[in-house]
Amino acid sequence: MNAWVILMNVIELSGIGKSYGDLKVLEDVNLKVREGETLGIIGPTGAGKSTLLRIMDLLERPDAGEILFHGENVDNLKPLEVRRRMGMVFQNTPVFRGTVTGSILYGPGVRGERPNESEVKEVLELVGLEGYEYRKTHELSGGERQRLALAQVLINRPEVVLLDEATSSLDPISRSRMEEVISGLDVTVIFTTHDLLQGQKLADRIAILNHSILQTGSPREIFTKPASRFVAEFVGARNILSGRASITGDGISIINCDGINIYSSEKARGDVSATIRPEDITVSWQRTDSSALNQLRGRVVAVRDSGSLQQLEVRCGGETLTVHMTRKSLHDMGITTGSSVWIEFKASAVHIIR
Amino acid sequence: MNEIIAGFIRALDLMASLDPELIDITLRTLMISLSSTIMAALVAVPAAAAIDSREFRGKRFIMNIIQTLYSIPTVLVGLFVFLLISRSGPLGSFNLLFTPAGMILGQSILILPLVTGFSLTALRGVKPELRDLARSLGATEYQVMMKVIAEARYAVMAAIILGFGRAISEVGVAIMLGGNIRGFTRVITTAISLETSKGNLELSIALGIILLLISLMVNTALNHFQEK
Repeated sequence: MNAWVILMNVIELSGIGKSYGDLKVLEDVNLKVREGETLGIIGPTGAGKSTLLRIMDLLERPDAGEILFHGENVDNLKPLEVRRRMGMVFQNTPVFRGTVTGSILYGPGVRGERPNESEVKEVLELVGLEGYEYRKTHELSGGERQRLALAQVLINRPEVVLLDEATSSLDPISRSRMEEVISGLDVTVIFTTHDLLQGQKLADRIAILNHSILQTGSPREIFTKPASRFVAEFVGARNILSGRASITGDGISIINCDGINIYSSEKARGDVSATIRPEDITVSWQRTDSSALNQLRGRVVAVRDSGSLQQLEVRCGGETLTVHMTRKSLHDMGITTGSSVWIEFKASAVHIIR
Repeated sequence: MNEIIAGFIRALDLMASLDPELIDITLRTLMISLSSTIMAALVAVPAAAAIDSREFRGKRFIMNIIQTLYSIPTVLVGLFVFLLISRSGPLGSFNLLFTPAGMILGQSILILPLVTGFSLTALRGVKPELRDLARSLGATEYQVMMKVIAEARYAVMAAIILGFGRAISEVGVAIMLGGNIRGFTRVITTAISLETSKGNLELSIALGIILLLISLMVNTALNHFQEK
């Protein structure tokens, strides 16, 4: 494969907008999907995920923006031809009447093709439905329907597979089975989910969608460096503090939060938010002599037991920070609710979000 | 009272002995009504699919008109087609008046709204997701339409059977366009009407029983499809 082919975007969306009446579902969506990657589009319910996939599958026309397929504007292409190179698994997995084989042969049938029995068998095996050839589609369980939907798509050898909440209604066993199948696909896959963990598990890259794309990046980037307060809250980041930032003479930032000042090694000015991961914060009885720039006095207002890790809520000034401690160190130190403690964390542990 | 009982007994006798005239009328009735049902279905189902598959202005209006025409009096359709196919009408040169072909045309037109309307309801019962699925799997708009019909096949079949039921039981079109010519255009309903007025109750009762049996079969078939 040539280098330029690898760099090619399969689908490129720019400035996509879509409204239903007064309801703005998508606004200025920009997204590039790279060849061969598994891209997870994650967002809360009602964020426009399904609409975005339907637009990519050319089932719906956007009100604004353009769609490039392999670098070419789809307005210059026949929708049918583009659609035949993609495949979509729908959220509520509708099924045609008849047998599993009949459903699988529908896609090839409309293309005037007739795959032989072994091809059907192969694709059924791929999704874990071996032996289901002559089952009635209406007798299938939710998980089996999902897998049939995927088989229906895969028999057409699509370049892009679009999966809309493909595992949302499944029991844990069917779900992990479906996830296995999805991660085994060697084509470009775009899937939507509101489940972050699933996104993290399956995706090479994640795009956070809430009417527009808020951030794209590797799962690690999204979780450790959320680009906005919304993303931070959505990915479940703790300790999101807001305040006014300025840059000190030493070239680091100082953020004036509610009653406390926080140092960050990332440069920022003006109104910002910042996150500190609970596991990056240490607790001590006395102020220590350490390299950590952030040393704050606070009072433990709550101790929560979450398995082996204990979760402390420490009130510093007007802010409450969540701190993780092991059960052992909490016990050894004798910290309880009401204790007056010092917490510290490095300036490099403070991630600034806009 | 005795006369009626005697009529029944003689009617059963006619049926048991496979009376040639009884058989002749029954077969002709079935042939004409089946033909008109097939003709109407060939127009109605594609028309319903065409109406169903797109949004356009006046769609509601068209559907209202179709529904209004469900209960159009048979004699009105008879009059309309009579004017069309009578010697001086636009289709006069085909000599269709007082022929089975003329009756088939009339009955087709009579049941066309019914079959179209109920087919439309049947197609609208197909989940919109299935259209998207077909389209997404690479179907052309025509293929999507065919898939929708296939998905609604039992309900569409029920609509067609309903049309057959109306065609076989109507008398207005049959008598106005067929003329009730013995051995040529005489069907069950026109025969009953004539034989009863002549006082020939046994043939009327026998034909009535047969018509009821056909209706029973049609309804059984209808229920069968509606349950699917």
